Amino acid sequence: MTWMKITGYADKFSVHPEDTIKFYVNCDGPAEYKAEIVKMIHGDTNPRGPGYIEESIKADCNSTYKGMKQEIYSGSYGFVADKKQFQLESVTLQCWIWPTTPKTHPKYWKHGAQGLVTKWCDGKGYGLFINEDGCVEFRINDQVISTGAPLRDHAWHFVAASFDAKTGEAILYHEPQVVYALDPEIPPVSKKFSTKLTYVPGTPTVIAGYCGGMSDAPQAQASVPPGVLIKGHYNGKIDSPRVCNRALSRLEIESMKLGAQPGLSERRNSGPSGKLSEAIVASWDFGDGINTIFGKDKGPYLFHATIVNCPTRAMTGYNWQGHVFDWKGAPEQYGAIHFHDDDIDNARWQVSFEWKVPKGTSSKFYAAKLTSKDGDEDYIPFWVVPRVGEETAKIAVMVPTISYMAYANEHLANNAGGAELLVYRVPIMQQQNMFLSEHREYGGSIYDTHTDGSGLCLSSRLRPILSIRPKYDHFLAQAPWQYPADLHLIYWLEKMGYNYDVITDEDVTYDGLARVENYNVIITGSHPEHNSGPQLDALHNYMQRGGRFMYMGADGWYWVHSYHPAYDGIGRGVVTEMRRCESGIRTWRADPGEYYHQGTGELGGMWRFRGRYLHTIAGTGMSSEGFDISTYYSRTEESNDARVAWAFEGIDYDEKLGNFGLVGGGAAGTELDIVDTMLGSPPHTLVVATSAGRHTEGYLLVMEDYGFNQQGLDGTQHPRVRSDIAYHETPNGGASFAFSSIAFCGALPWNNGDNNISKLVGNVLNRFMQDGPLPAPSPEAIMHRGRADYDQPLNKTRK
Amino acid sequence: MIPIPRPSTPDAERMIREHKECIDSMKGVAGNSVLKCETPGDTTTVTGGIHEDLQLNRVLLRMRAKPAKGKLVVICTKVEKEWRIARLSGVRGVPPEFVTDKVYDNEQDPQHDIFLMRLEEMPETDGFPEHFREGWKRRDDQWTVT
Repeated sequence: MTWMKITGYADKFSVHPEDTIKFYVNCDGPAEYKAEIVKMIHGDTNPRGPGYIEESIKADCNSTYKGMKQEIYSGSYGFVADKKQFQLESVTLQCWIWPTTPKTHPKYWKHGAQGLVTKWCDGKGYGLFINEDGCVEFRINDQVISTGAPLRDHAWHFVAASFDAKTGEAILYHEPQVVYALDPEIPPVSKKFSTKLTYVPGTPTVIAGYCGGMSDAPQAQASVPPGVLIKGHYNGKIDSPRVCNRALSRLEIESMKLGAQPGLSERRNSGPSGKLSEAIVASWDFGDGINTIFGKDKGPYLFHATIVNCPTRAMTGYNWQGHVFDWKGAPEQYGAIHFHDDDIDNARWQVSFEWKVPKGTSSKFYAAKLTSKDGDEDYIPFWVVPRVGEETAKIAVMVPTISYMAYANEHLANNAGGAELLVYRVPIMQQQNMFLSEHREYGGSIYDTHTDGSGLCLSSRLRPILSIRPKYDHFLAQAPWQYPADLHLIYWLEKMGYNYDVITDEDVTYDGLARVENYNVIITGSHPEHNSGPQLDALHNYMQRGGRFMYMGADGWYWVHSYHPAYDGIGRGVVTEMRRCESGIRTWRADPGEYYHQGTGELGGMWRFRGRYLHTIAGTGMSSEGFDISTYYSRTEESNDARVAWAFEGIDYDEKLGNFGLVGGGAAGTELDIVDTMLGSPPHTLVVATSAGRHTEGYLLVMEDYGFNQQGLDGTQHPRVRSDIAYHETPNGGASFAFSSIAFCGALPWNNGDNNISKLVGNVLNRFMQDGPLPAPSPEAIMHRGRADYDQPLNKTRK
Repeated sequence: MIPIPRPSTPDAERMIREHKECIDSMKGVAGNSVLKCETPGDTTTVTGGIHEDLQLNRVLLRMRAKPAKGKLVVICTKVEKEWRIARLSGVRGVPPEFVTDKVYDNEQDPQHDIFLMRLEEMPETDGFPEHFREGWKRRDDQWTVT
């Protein structure tokens, strides 16, 4: 069964009017497909809601196009184009390796030999490989020697091999760094070959793969370099690969471990001296240029390798001492690149069609809708965003595109045995999941682990992202999640007739305060979990200056993200990075010494552990999560406080708030935030409603909030497992309203928007969108408040 | 440890009945739990199920903790219309395969059928200490996910 015959992506997430957005479409089967631009209103197909709603937009790109199959060539590697200096008669290769899947399952999607350092194609050339049996192999043309000793996974080994054209002798060394008591010795192996090295013209030198052939097919243009197909992608780390132009002795190989440092003088230390230095063809040092997509060559020819598909860098090398944890402090101990056979930074497809967004196009959620006559369908979402200074509304919806990228093409239901424990029911997968389970080349999310089990910390938007789609229910919620869930909010804004602009995380990150200061109110999506530092700075500055903020979700401002600067040349916000460090809800955990981002050098992990507490942004922060069902809120006494009572006009005190909804059946659910002044909630925060005491056993406290595992951490017992709707004022007439539940927006469309959650949000938005500062609170509300002694009702009666 | 009861025993029959009632009551909820909605399709008040039947709770946890390889899942084959039961391959790049021909017209019923299938196919002593081997309860995978 073919699950999705049409998939696609665009070159931009956010596009300004008068700019052009390009679309790339894979149409695998149908002869042609129809493309039309649609405005997205509601993406949830649930029959208990308003159903799927889109609006056709007149666009000059709306047409029928010829279908073309496009390929994604995933798997990271480094390469240097064919150079005569690599066309050697004799050769020595050496490197350190930390393989993660030296042996794979026969059904594994890339089962077969893995290239380490190769200039080899179609039985010609030389190379160090890991063979199908998981042993190191040295190839001279079609001749092979192997130690026959399987490599240990997740362990450093030194490997080297030489071939002497004069004698025909080939030697292969395989030396584990740690030798356990009962390990057999692995002596070097040697063999006489009666062959002379020959080469397929155009064969690049490849690190972590080998040249699998050349192709003129149009789809092969998506490979790098175009038309050269790289195969045998390696899973694991490589450190200090080197190529020499003759067969070195074992002692010389040992000396070469010192690396190449040219420019020997009487005052300068140098690498190999004299005759040995003349043997160097290339000596790559991956500790230099960690934030780039080049592998620096310290050899005489400066054969810097182009690194393709963004493998993980800033990885501890074979020589990491465990004293320095930031790669910037000791880059020489971070000379390893961790390559993966499923890394992908850019699908590099050919443009299928493009649209110049006309001037005056409203700033909203859009998509290119792609359909075939046979009923195949895909949508490519994008957002039209006004230029700074050309805002068209008082309201801005901040689309959490970094979070979308973090969840992009997530594989948990398919890969993670524990997914069912997490959601407390059997996961339900959709066609997108089924397609991705087979098409691993589309890459994974930052929630996934790579095919080798290591954490996936980089995500690109230049590939079809099938989770950012309407009509897509996510296994976590058995309902829309992220993009389609945020359309619950969009439907409500449209239904209620509000005029709003949309801006994305990317726009706020790159434009700072200028991007937000002209709006009276900023509304978030349902789950703005992943954020960049500049974005948080912009929000902080905005709110301090009187901006108003409506936090429509939960588990926001949780993880540190950064856009990889090496991709800025092809657009804003192309690749985002996140490391899952010390604590927090982590589907994988970064290894020791690997907490710092390769792109920006900043410490990854949770904002909380960088002293930027979640609760300082919107007023509430993450407390717990569970995914089975949601529940409702009750108003608290504080909701009658004159500072906030206006928000509940038209809502009775005893009403159950949000005992309905399209996510879990209630407004309080999936992930929940609470007020905690010790974690940054301002001490004048008012908790106006809470879901305390109503959650299921499937809801559990977040792990960063406790130091011991113990009984009683679930929603039927722990007092912190709840969602607090909270309000606080900010200086200069600003304020923040936090609704504190991911399921919250799912209640807005209920009964076509006629419900008490809709009423509450409408009251808040109507007040927050007004021009000028908000009305000042009464003078008696102004008092000294501590943080630890926070207890709001008592504050009022404090002596 | 609490064993997984054989399907025809009174314990199993009680659990099957409770599970079915819970699942039926969740029809219409965009989500699901083995808890009973006081009003079907409305999560305002939920009782019973995993919160009150300790044995059912423990058996479900055991079932949910099965390794990814061979694990039963639900596949939505037509949005809001059709669902089927499949099994995960446990090998990355190899998609799940359908295991029955039954096509469901709602997303809750396959949850109950999977419960029945697991009662049939899981050993009574699944996960008991006697099953110890290297990797016991490591869920047979080398991945750290959840």
